[in-house]
Amino acid sequence: MSDLRVLYVAHNHPTLHPGGAEAYSLELYEAMRSQPGVEPVLLARIGSNVARRRVAHPGTPFSTVNDDPNQYFVFTETDHFDFFTLTSRDKNLYSRHLTDFLLAQQPDVVHLQHTHFIGVDLLSQIRRVLPDAAIVYTLHEFLPICNHHGQMVRTFADELCSEASPRRCNECFPEISPQSFFLRERFVKGHFANVDRFLAPSAQLMDKYLDWGIGSERIEVEEYGRLSPTRRAGDPAQVKSPANIGFFGQLSHFKGAEVMMEAMAMVDPDVDAHLWLNGANLELQTQEFQEEFARLQEGLRGRVTFRGPYEHSELPKLMEDLHWALIPSIWWENSPLVIQEAFFHRRPIICSDIGGMAEKVRDGVDGLHFRGGDPVSLARTIERATTNPRLWRSLRDGIRDPYPMDAHVSRLLDLYGETIEQRKGVAVSA
Amino acid sequence: MPDTVKEKSPARRRPRRSNEQAARLSPDVELAVGAAGAELRAATKGEFQGSLKALLRDELAGLDAERRTEVVAELAASKIVAEHPSLELSGSLYEIREVLRERLPACAVDARQPAGLAVEQILSIDERSFWISGWMHDEDGEGVVTVVSPEGARVEVTKTAYRFERPDVVQFYAALRGNPTRNHGFTAFFELPAPSLLTDGWIAELRTSDGVAVEIRCPAVVSGSLAIRATILGELGNRGPVGGELAAGHGRHALTRLQERIVEDSEVDSIDVYGEPPSSPEVSVVIPLYKRLDFIEHQFLQFSTDPDFAAAELVYVLDSVEQKDELAMKMRELFTLYGLPFKVVNLTAGAGFAGANRHGINASVAPQLLLLNSDVIPDRPGWLTAMRGFYASQEGIGALGPKLLYEDDSLQHAGLYFHRAPGAELWENAHCFKGLHRDFPAANVARPVPAVTAACMLVDRDRYEEVGGLPLHYVQGDYEDSELCLRLAEAGYENWYLPLVELYHLEGQSYGADTRRIPSEYNMWLHSEIWGARIEELMADFSVNPGTER
Repeated sequence: MSDLRVLYVAHNHPTLHPGGAEAYSLELYEAMRSQPGVEPVLLARIGSNVARRRVAHPGTPFSTVNDDPNQYFVFTETDHFDFFTLTSRDKNLYSRHLTDFLLAQQPDVVHLQHTHFIGVDLLSQIRRVLPDAAIVYTLHEFLPICNHHGQMVRTFADELCSEASPRRCNECFPEISPQSFFLRERFVKGHFANVDRFLAPSAQLMDKYLDWGIGSERIEVEEYGRLSPTRRAGDPAQVKSPANIGFFGQLSHFKGAEVMMEAMAMVDPDVDAHLWLNGANLELQTQEFQEEFARLQEGLRGRVTFRGPYEHSELPKLMEDLHWALIPSIWWENSPLVIQEAFFHRRPIICSDIGGMAEKVRDGVDGLHFRGGDPVSLARTIERATTNPRLWRSLRDGIRDPYPMDAHVSRLLDLYGETIEQRKGVAVSA
Repeated sequence: MPDTVKEKSPARRRPRRSNEQAARLSPDVELAVGAAGAELRAATKGEFQGSLKALLRDELAGLDAERRTEVVAELAASKIVAEHPSLELSGSLYEIREVLRERLPACAVDARQPAGLAVEQILSIDERSFWISGWMHDEDGEGVVTVVSPEGARVEVTKTAYRFERPDVVQFYAALRGNPTRNHGFTAFFELPAPSLLTDGWIAELRTSDGVAVEIRCPAVVSGSLAIRATILGELGNRGPVGGELAAGHGRHALTRLQERIVEDSEVDSIDVYGEPPSSPEVSVVIPLYKRLDFIEHQFLQFSTDPDFAAAELVYVLDSVEQKDELAMKMRELFTLYGLPFKVVNLTAGAGFAGANRHGINASVAPQLLLLNSDVIPDRPGWLTAMRGFYASQEGIGALGPKLLYEDDSLQHAGLYFHRAPGAELWENAHCFKGLHRDFPAANVARPVPAVTAACMLVDRDRYEEVGGLPLHYVQGDYEDSELCLRLAEAGYENWYLPLVELYHLEGQSYGADTRRIPSEYNMWLHSEIWGARIEELMADFSVNPGTER
């Protein structure tokens, strides 16, 4: 039997952008590479918005990443991507270049981590070019459903949204007609029809896609598997006063940046609580947001410290002094990778009581929930947490190891096998 | 004048009859008028030369208008004009034309007039071939436009011209008369029976089906190969797809001739020899240089440490002639530093990629040719021997091309093939596995391919010459190498890709994408026009990804 060839398509590569999703894509590829009988290929999108590079080599969007002959970049022009319809305006990308790539690589399975900046058209092109290949698609947010950055948060008053429709989407974007939203949905679903299997890292995310119309026979929950870090952070030096709270990730509105800053301003002055911000991309946020953030930060000099961007490999060190991880997002989230990372290092989590956070962090068992979007609720939760070393210890002891990569890989290989069998059935009956 | 012509001319001389009169038009040519009519002939050394004015007045001015027009045209088309062209002869012929020709009413461009004519430009491709653009208006579109050269030659351009809509002309005439959708515009490539050397004095005539005849004076003829080439390409680009009817009927003839002229106008200015090149080299490495001289040093270092170059003759050709001094200084330094002998061919004018290669090949002597771009850097020594060894090991190889890599170890070249999008008519060149990693298994198999790039190509000199070498008719590159390979394939040879030899090709874009659009489209069209059938055959037998349907 020849090796199982699996093509992973990702919208980014950790060498360009050190994010959690990017790290996961590469970890999965590497874990598959170490499996006997599996030959994975990783194709990661590169473009001017993530790299300084502005052009590809003449005549091809493909280039290599490093010495690994199975890792590739595909260059797409950021300007060519239509964020509304989730397609590339450069159709030659699919009909010519990606077709050539698929024909040369001949994968048995194409597992897409994302189609952002590449376009959903790729799904149909895979099916046309490789009729027998299994197509697996991991869903990371709600971009296919929601035009509001894929967050499913209404554009007014940050109200959480649980249902997309041309009428409701037009309420969020009055300048875009309901007809346009109708076409958007039909277009995305038309290409999604080629996917054999969707994977949802959280049940709440799957539920929203079921509501949207993905048949239950085509979707299942499969958590991100992670490799154990090489080093686990030790307990903090002192736990009598579990005062140090860490935030990891992008400082943005949807990530609850204002909520946590406002909450810190409300924390009882006698309570010893300190927030450490480990995050990036503040400069990418709107001017308004940056100003608001600076204003909030101004009054919190003794309470909040900005530590700036970090590399994924620095996490054990950054976790060392911290007692808590904080996830104050005001959108649903999917399955935030920070949860797994904090749990690896045995840090209980304070988080919003919504979506993927509420699903993955058990209130009173391995973390504490507060009312999503409510700074008062967060301030009271922080006061309770930081003044209660026994609570901290009990929550820490309640932490279970995150879903290991081995189990993830083995489930995926089974799933690939099942899907290939299914496709054979389709091919025979067709 | 060549001696041979001088020797022949007395033999053609006919005895002068007594009733004949003659006048000298140039040192070589005279006009004779006798019972048989008027003719041009080689000048006789005689004392009977009368004045041209008197001769015309006495002998020819009395003929009827139609006959006078014929006489002018016949004289201008005489064979001897082609044999002894001179400005003086052209001036005399112009004088004859002006005395004898029947003047038509001048055309007034006026929406109330039934006939309108304008010539916007006449381009001189060479002394006998021209490109004309303008427009004409009449009642029914059946009118005939004839151009008259200053020497008097007549060509009916509407017979063959490419016609197209001119919205501005339509608008001008629309208010008053006529069918507004008629194709007023005309563009044509045309040839004269004999050279025309005068830039001023062209006339255009329009004769409508209902008997109206008018004439206009044309603007001065424009010459200068490069400027004209740009103008013609611009016209092709403005008239629908670049590779359309205009290109097929006119553009191709004009551009092919211009490309030949550009190469003809470029001669070897000097050959600088550095050191002592091998007296009977096994292979000549020919490297055309254009603008970028910064790669030479990197390439040269690799050559100098490669024992293969002991048996190789290294020939550089500088196509960007303005860099002659800069290059000479650089090459002196490199020779002093590395001691590897080589030649530099300097040209009088740029010849283009194919032309520069041609000069370099003519200046080289080895039985095998290795065409090489200056931005190709060997990965390791021994590549020349490996290529030559493979070439010898396989019967009937035409061109042999190695694996070429980008700086990030992705594939730049693993053989060329031809691609045609579904529903498209034209074939374009495509590179097998471009962008994939150098270790990609399917790209590591030596195999026959439809074509290989001339960025690095080994070919036997005999075979190269047998098929005529790199073609000159493409504008600024693109398809010379694939046409050479197609010619080799047609002659029964096979082109091969050889992956065990690896070099880096730091391919860049030396032209802005926009200025290259029209030439690229024209080249693609011309390539398909000439080779479409052959390509279809080759592609039927070739699979980019062996083992799959494509």
